[in-house]
Amino acid sequence: MASITVPGGLAEGEIRKLERPKLRIADYLRWSVDHKIIGVQYMVTALFFFIIGGTLAMMIRWELLTPNLDVVQTGSQFNTLFSVHALVMIFLWIIPMFAGFGNFLVPLMLGAKDMAFPWLNAFAFWLIPPAGLLLLGSMLVGAPEGGWTMYPPLSTIYSGDGQTLAALAAHLLGISSILGAINFIVTIKNMRPEGMGWWQMPLFCWAILATSIIVVMATPFLAGALTLLILDRVGGTSFFDATKGGDPQLWQNVFWFYSHPAVYIMVLPGMGILSEVLSIHARKPIFGYKMIALSSLGIAIIGFTVWAHHMFTSLAPQLRIPFMITSMIIAVPTGIKIFSWLGTLWGGKIRLNSAMLFGLGFLSMFVIGGISGVMLAAVPFDIHVHDTYFVVSHLHFVLFGGSVFTIYAGIYHWYPKITGRMLNERWGKVHFWLTYPAFFFTFFPMHIAGMLGMPRRVAIYLPEFQGINTIISISGFVLGISTFVLLINMIVSLRNGKIAGANPWRALTLEWATTSPPPATNFVDDPVPFVDPYGYGSQGSQEYLDAVDRRFGVGEEVFTPRPAPTPAPSGD
Amino acid sequence: MTQHVLEQKLTRQEQQALRNRRTGLAIFQLSWIMTFVCLIIVNFTMRGGSPTWPPEGVTVGKIIPTLMTLALIGSSVFIRRGTKALKADNIAGFTTNWRYGLALGGLFAVVMAIEFIRAPGSGQFLNVYRLMIGFHHVHAMAIGYYLIRVYQNGRRGVYSATDFWPVEGGTSLWDFVTVAWVLFYVVLYII
Repeated sequence: MASITVPGGLAEGEIRKLERPKLRIADYLRWSVDHKIIGVQYMVTALFFFIIGGTLAMMIRWELLTPNLDVVQTGSQFNTLFSVHALVMIFLWIIPMFAGFGNFLVPLMLGAKDMAFPWLNAFAFWLIPPAGLLLLGSMLVGAPEGGWTMYPPLSTIYSGDGQTLAALAAHLLGISSILGAINFIVTIKNMRPEGMGWWQMPLFCWAILATSIIVVMATPFLAGALTLLILDRVGGTSFFDATKGGDPQLWQNVFWFYSHPAVYIMVLPGMGILSEVLSIHARKPIFGYKMIALSSLGIAIIGFTVWAHHMFTSLAPQLRIPFMITSMIIAVPTGIKIFSWLGTLWGGKIRLNSAMLFGLGFLSMFVIGGISGVMLAAVPFDIHVHDTYFVVSHLHFVLFGGSVFTIYAGIYHWYPKITGRMLNERWGKVHFWLTYPAFFFTFFPMHIAGMLGMPRRVAIYLPEFQGINTIISISGFVLGISTFVLLINMIVSLRNGKIAGANPWRALTLEWATTSPPPATNFVDDPVPFVDPYGYGSQGSQEYLDAVDRRFGVGEEVFTPRPAPTPAPSGD
Repeated sequence: MTQHVLEQKLTRQEQQALRNRRTGLAIFQLSWIMTFVCLIIVNFTMRGGSPTWPPEGVTVGKIIPTLMTLALIGSSVFIRRGTKALKADNIAGFTTNWRYGLALGGLFAVVMAIEFIRAPGSGQFLNVYRLMIGFHHVHAMAIGYYLIRVYQNGRRGVYSATDFWPVEGGTSLWDFVTVAWVLFYVVLYII
């Protein structure tokens, strides 16, 4: 049985109310080196850009309600819409949102007072708002029409000055990511508390570590590629101009060497969130802890060997099979995770709250995205559906059904810790039951449209595709509206939500062993982690959790688990 | 007194901060070297698309770049020796070695700037040649400027055997400049 030590190092049974920080909105609008404030700054900024990117998505779907031009006047305007939509969603919504979770949670989960480099942390965040303005401003000074992939010559000869601004914005965001990732790696490597070895670290931290390794190794390639692109646009060079001896495929190779791993940058932190949410709300030890942790690293490594599957139609034929094989192999560590999560749920005392619902939503939708990914890894199939709506469907199943669903799960799970208030559960469930079917009927029919031959990135399409596009657009509008249920819930709950208490979910990871929201220094003394962050169901964990409750008090809404289940084998 | 023993005199927080800085800088170097690797890939790609490399009629002089590469390596050696001297509380050794190191580094920067301006050839060859030298030069100038500031501070006695991070960090960054250049030198002039 685990030895019981009261978190915070105080004598067991001692109850001491920590003073809750009195933060004002102004504190979040200025430079701060507190990782919690920076985390919230990341999240709120990302949510702002999510609304912008979502609005652009609604305009795209409105345009595609009919086969002819309606909302936009020219194809160029449509190109701009989907280009900026994608860049915003990837670089200003998903990546910064996960950076926000990481910033807020990693030091708390490790029992640290802050990140390793607080100033650098703030600097990394403050690169984002100007980059966002540059990107949005790009629409005003000449359309960026290269899509988020920015393939030359679309991004060189056929785009306006806005493309240069978009490339500069991506440059800034890449630098921000690298600085943030260095901070995460150093914090995780050097600042774990006594008693927390690598194998006692929460899986969210493992996921952030794997993500950060990808960022520091891959993002410099994006920086290199963008430098060349900007030089081609404004410096008189012709690296990508085939008429002057340049090579457009050079961009594709270098870009995808970053951007395929970037897909895992956008998914791995979500997988970390899911590991926390599923275990805590199923009240069961995580199944296969080590395999989940190592598979994150496996994905990070194999992710560097698959980039050319994005170029099957232009790749030298002899290279297709090797990249097909590596692309299929990467499904193995992902499959390990999926089965481990299913093993975690199996026999658990599942509480179907909003966080868990979105976690389960991820499991079902991400598997569809994963399977369509394996289909696309097969060269013959990929050539058939290349640049069709099948690809659009696949990437949205991965990035919305995967990343965004876990972001939602994370918001419902950690909002109480961040704000000290609970989100309204009823509205959380309304949010889920609007989002889940709307998401499915927005993106699943795109598989069919793609296989029937509807190309992506077109504003005008054959009339025979109108029926399916109507279903997609209407579902898309519902999906867009559903987001506001969450946003309103978040705003209203800030004032009216029930008091959360320190540990409303009775979770074992260290971020719950302090007040909600945590004080400026996170913990009063050096916190003592429980021996197993997922050791639910044991006598020791009950005593540890009771000690947390006695010390910090409980909120208005307390999750009282049913009698502890017999612990299932952890799979290690 | 050995450096290890001196570092034991630091408080727990100072030791933690030093460890974090060392790890962070190492990761940054590992990360940022990938931009140089990216440009090497660009070089090889352009080379692959050209019948001859360098193009016919273009001659790339190797003597001056080789001498400058040796100068840069020598610069790194002096800078490192100076840093070692500082950690042994030998301020005079620090300033002398850094003076030589900065002089050699400055020589490299000036001569390679001239090489950039007088780069041979045209078209993609010239583009890639200038891109690599220029990209490296930006790093050499920025980090070189930082080293000069550190040297000035060091002469004023700001650093000591227990307060040396800007010196150690600058040394690592200058090593980075040297390693990155040696990679480029091999690609541009040897293979």
